[in-house]
Amino acid sequence: MNAFRNKMLKALAAFAVSGLLINTAANAADPLKIGLLTPSPIADVGWSKALVDGVDAVKAKYGDDVEINVIENIQEGPDADRIMNKMVGDGNEFLVLGSFGFMNGGLKLAKRNAKRTFLHASGYKTAKNFSPFTAKYYEGAYLMGMAAAELTKTKKLGVVSAFAIPELISTINGFTLGARSIDPEITVDVIWINSWFDPAKAQDSAKALLAGGADILFSNAQDTPSVVTVGEEGGAYVFNLNGSMKAYAPTKYLGVVKTDWAPFFVASVDAHLAGNFEGQNQWLGMTDDVVVVEDWNSDISEDMMAKIEATQADIVSGAKHVYDGPLVNQAGETVIAAGERLEDGAILGMDWHVEGVNSPLPK
Amino acid sequence: MQFKLDRRVHYSKAMLIATPIMAVGLSMLVCTLLLLVLNKPVLLTFHSFFIAPFENFYSITEIFLKFGPLLLIAQALAVGFRAKVWNIGAEGQMIIGAIAASSVPVYFVDSTSAWLLPAMIVLGALGGMAWAAIAAFLKTQFNANEILVTLMLSSIALQILYYLLLGPWKDPMGFNFPQTVMFQDEALFPYLFDGARINTSIAIPIIFTIGIWLFMEKHFGGFRLIVGGLAPSAATYAGFSSKKAVWSSLLLAGFAAGIAGMSEIAGPIGQLQRSVTSGYGYSAIIVAYLGALNPIGIIFAAFFLAVLQIGGDVALVSADLPISAVHVFQGLLLIFYLATYTFVNYRLRVVRPITQATPKLTS
Repeated sequence: MNAFRNKMLKALAAFAVSGLLINTAANAADPLKIGLLTPSPIADVGWSKALVDGVDAVKAKYGDDVEINVIENIQEGPDADRIMNKMVGDGNEFLVLGSFGFMNGGLKLAKRNAKRTFLHASGYKTAKNFSPFTAKYYEGAYLMGMAAAELTKTKKLGVVSAFAIPELISTINGFTLGARSIDPEITVDVIWINSWFDPAKAQDSAKALLAGGADILFSNAQDTPSVVTVGEEGGAYVFNLNGSMKAYAPTKYLGVVKTDWAPFFVASVDAHLAGNFEGQNQWLGMTDDVVVVEDWNSDISEDMMAKIEATQADIVSGAKHVYDGPLVNQAGETVIAAGERLEDGAILGMDWHVEGVNSPLPK
Repeated sequence: MQFKLDRRVHYSKAMLIATPIMAVGLSMLVCTLLLLVLNKPVLLTFHSFFIAPFENFYSITEIFLKFGPLLLIAQALAVGFRAKVWNIGAEGQMIIGAIAASSVPVYFVDSTSAWLLPAMIVLGALGGMAWAAIAAFLKTQFNANEILVTLMLSSIALQILYYLLLGPWKDPMGFNFPQTVMFQDEALFPYLFDGARINTSIAIPIIFTIGIWLFMEKHFGGFRLIVGGLAPSAATYAGFSSKKAVWSSLLLAGFAAGIAGMSEIAGPIGQLQRSVTSGYGYSAIIVAYLGALNPIGIIFAAFFLAVLQIGGDVALVSADLPISAVHVFQGLLLIFYLATYTFVNYRLRVVRPITQATPKLTS
């Protein structure tokens, strides 16, 4: 009996040791550990998925030289700070923090860990090893606005939008400017739902916009396909940001303003490995291959597609900028005159709507 | 066949101590099965939950960071539960406490007065009490069910928080992000150690616990409170007021939850933002019951739940467990604990329906 017990104990001990060995064996090869923290569940589509695709591209390039750790669905708050801390403690050298709410905690961590590199989504604070990154969604939204202008009958466009932060305000303004470049009678209504992920609220808001006469919907930074499905059911063309949701609106999908973080993430990891990473505000658009517009609806006429492609080429080449003057705000005041171009800082801190947006900004 | 639970007249003290051990054993068994199905490392997961939280100093301080608010709120709630006042809205009382306390650094941004923090503590307590007073008033005046009222008030509190963050209290330099300014150092509890987030606010729950223990065990007022809840009419004959029990229970909970909310914003968070409670208001209900509504038991229960939550965060990162699996594991532990606890106090009796038919009446 004793012998049997000893045997069992030994087996157990061996099991325990092997478990620990597996854990340490990974450290032996010394790959670069990359940690990604996302605010919402990683679904087949949406913001978090786009981030995962980005780090997957890093994995594809570096193979076994990197190890990817993804922690999904973490609420912003003091617990997120601890989880980030733990990620650093577990040896992650390169961290991607996927939401603006991770900013203050992440920045503190970055200052304490000078050798590690941090990329932070949607924020505005920088440090030597801490780069906020944002997409110039407004470039893609401008093109969507052109297409919407051709397809709308009511000349009313509706936007369901997350938070009234400059990134999303400038996207709505870009959309409006694009639409009004084709048809100046078009107006845009916006509903702010103050959430990245609230399927019920997003759906209700989309329905309210349709009831108000809109026949084109824009799902602005919503990590659920709710608005897109409402569009398909209600017969309104609809588009969204970050990743294609065509599967949810097979006939009414206008297209997607996709973000492809792969080039940026890969370049940042390159820089980190080379030891010359420099924290700076990374504001990336079509020229950087980060903002990509695709999945165009076949209902858009060939003429319009040609126009859109020409505009896109001009934006990429720099011949045209979405925020070229003249720009007029909601109150009818001229912000900049013809021939001038809005400064980057003014776009990054945008807190006003262009003429044509009906809804006031939440104050 | 029917099952009935009979209260045991004599129950074994040894079993009462064995209960938590059995609960842990049973839930570990079920978890092992779940982990095997999920194909996750079993030993590493248990290590993350029960050992890793104690492995380094930082992690231990984090346990106490969570322990504080859980202990504070649970002690106050338990007093109410013993008086049969079902306040499940500590979450909302916490939020209002945090809001009331934040008004000081929000309106006195440049102040470096030593009175900032004391003022915030007082306002936090008053805020929580005011919010709980609504439920107490409705209960005593109109006999409105306090379960519903306190729960609904939590939703209202959250909306008030969102309104303030998106509107009047928004950080003017914060690019419209829904958060206030970062508070000045004078508005924060001093840290106990360098590099850890644990701060002097931990003293409050400890002093509070001693006070509650003295009140409930040694003071006649505690007895009156319990009688008032258990048997309102008996209490009336004895000259105790059942209304008083409602008021004092709710105000006490509001006081504790308000200070807990204040300690979060003046502690690990350092500003008012959208998530301030980390769910402590709800977790504290579990703590109160896990601790058998006993001031000493609650100390252990709060510590246990804090370890579980820190362990869950570790498992997320180190054992690559999805966050939902972490919640399942935590839930299993609690369910098994409550189940075993029930069987220690109650005996299961199988009641067989009388199968023998009543003698037929012959006509």
